[in-house]
Amino acid sequence: MGDATSTGQKSGDRSREETTPAGPTGDDTPGVLGEADTAAIGEQALVVEGVSKRFGDGENEVIAVDDVSFTVEQGAVVGLLGPNGAGKTTLIKSILGMVLPDEGSVEIFGTDASDGRRGAYVDVDAMLEGARNDYWRLTVRENLRYFATISGVDPDSVTGRHDRLLNRLGLGDHADTAVRNLSRGMKQKVSLASVLAGGAKLIFLDEPTLGLDVESSRTLRTELTRLAREEGLTIVVSSHNMSVIEDVCDRVIVMSAGQIVADGTVEELLGTANRNAIRITSADIDDHVVSRLEARFTLLDVETVDGGRRIELEATGEELYTLMDTLRDAGVTVEQLHTVEPDLEDVFVSLTGDTQGLRGPSEGEGSL
Amino acid sequence: MTDAADPTPIEQPRPATYYHLARAVLYREFLIFVRYPANAIGGIVVSLFFFGVLFYGGQQLAGQALTESLEGIIVGYFLWTLSVGAYSSVSNDIGSEVQWGTLERHITTPFGFAPVALLKGVAKIVRTFLTSLIVLVAMLLMTGTTLRIEPVTTISIAGLAITSVLGLGFAAGGITVLYKRIGNWLNLLQFGFIVLISAPVFDAPWTRLLPLAHGSALLQRAMVDGIRLWQFSPFDLALLVGVAVGYLAGGYLVFHYATRRARRLGVLGDY
Repeated sequence: MGDATSTGQKSGDRSREETTPAGPTGDDTPGVLGEADTAAIGEQALVVEGVSKRFGDGENEVIAVDDVSFTVEQGAVVGLLGPNGAGKTTLIKSILGMVLPDEGSVEIFGTDASDGRRGAYVDVDAMLEGARNDYWRLTVRENLRYFATISGVDPDSVTGRHDRLLNRLGLGDHADTAVRNLSRGMKQKVSLASVLAGGAKLIFLDEPTLGLDVESSRTLRTELTRLAREEGLTIVVSSHNMSVIEDVCDRVIVMSAGQIVADGTVEELLGTANRNAIRITSADIDDHVVSRLEARFTLLDVETVDGGRRIELEATGEELYTLMDTLRDAGVTVEQLHTVEPDLEDVFVSLTGDTQGLRGPSEGEGSL
Repeated sequence: MTDAADPTPIEQPRPATYYHLARAVLYREFLIFVRYPANAIGGIVVSLFFFGVLFYGGQQLAGQALTESLEGIIVGYFLWTLSVGAYSSVSNDIGSEVQWGTLERHITTPFGFAPVALLKGVAKIVRTFLTSLIVLVAMLLMTGTTLRIEPVTTISIAGLAITSVLGLGFAAGGITVLYKRIGNWLNLLQFGFIVLISAPVFDAPWTRLLPLAHGSALLQRAMVDGIRLWQFSPFDLALLVGVAVGYLAGGYLVFHYATRRARRLGVLGDY
């Protein structure tokens, strides 16, 4: 899988200007499902430099994206995390040209998106949150054929690949069903399939598992991982769902208040949590014990459970001996003791201070 | 889940041409037209109902005077149904695409949005012609009137006349992209078409520059007086083409800059 770096550089004050695209790129056939025609993994699929976007004026001005720079190598699966209002969607739309940034530049597969949009976006597609992305009155297969054409691919030349895509996403039996007659989860899958139908090499997925049941979500995650690993597709995923990010992404960018506050692999980010928590359960833990522990340790959580209490506190090295001594002196018989590994949610909270958005929409639930 | 277990042969994707694009856009319109005919049938029924009210009510009020101008009324009504169909289908279509999140995908297509929009416009015109022809035939049967319908002349003049309306539709669609839920207000413009179709082009020649007005006058002469396309003066035909292309280009420019403004404001697709 590819790697990527956050450069943190600003490219200057050049505003993007739209150019008028015309005609298809005859010699630049987009790959379908990103198979063998994808460029060598390791080259940069996306370069974002100094992108900023403000909305409103004066006192009402909101800086949605603030001097954001990063690169994504081909074949990488990058997660974009952040609380509501962090600027994720504005950033994605700025990259896609749906929002014109005030500053900065975007380069896609070596083509400056501000100079020639047609050339830059020929291998790019996106599934944005809250959008249907397809036509509900057409059948699933008709949608795939239509959007393959719109993406610049003769649909007759990729019928077999469409069949495989439909089967992998569990849509094979519904290929000739009008999308409007499918369940919400199925519609979400059709939306993804239509994004992949044209053979885009770089796709943006905003909350791709929103509304999916657990099984559908797992299928979709598996397929995303396969697409990246086997077919070299470059994927940028924005999601509140930490498990999706952990499962699918080999790199995570965390945004807060329009800026990138962390950028690294999941393991690297977990390493920054710097938290060694111990969870102890005992029937002997009362308010007095809690007070004594609070005086010597950082208490993270105190919870009443059947027949006692469960506390979570930070303790490392020598502190562990002190903890045991304190508990023994207080006459506490430890019933359960666990070390607590930090997860991505802990990292997210510590980086963004957001405790509301961290649980986000779980599978089958709505967005926060 | 693996390709090894999948017997489907791997194909090499071929680039789509403008032919494929045209086929895809027109086929989609065709599918929706035949698969969901309720809208089209509803439009035909409503058009005929209002014509019936106009015809029978007018007979009670105006008597012989109405009968003398009936051919002109039928031609005007035919052009009005064409115009309303073309305008509303384009402006409403853009509004729907914004709502569905599919407009962005058309704007970022490697073909560019202009050819897609043009093809969609052609599809709307073809569809509108089909429904309006049914209305026209029904009106003729209902009133016992005959018109001189020479297909090449009628289709050419009516097609160019409503091309200018397509431009208005694109402009309205652009405003919808910017300001969202204002479709009902923009639909009121349809009633303005009645004024344009009945514009006094002989008494006030400048009105020929308005959309529909000149085309309406030529269509009256073609369908009522039997004048063929090649019997019109080059000036009349050039003006017809000029007005059509001018309003279409102007409307598309409004749409283009409205979507650009929407992207600047970050409201493209935010419905």
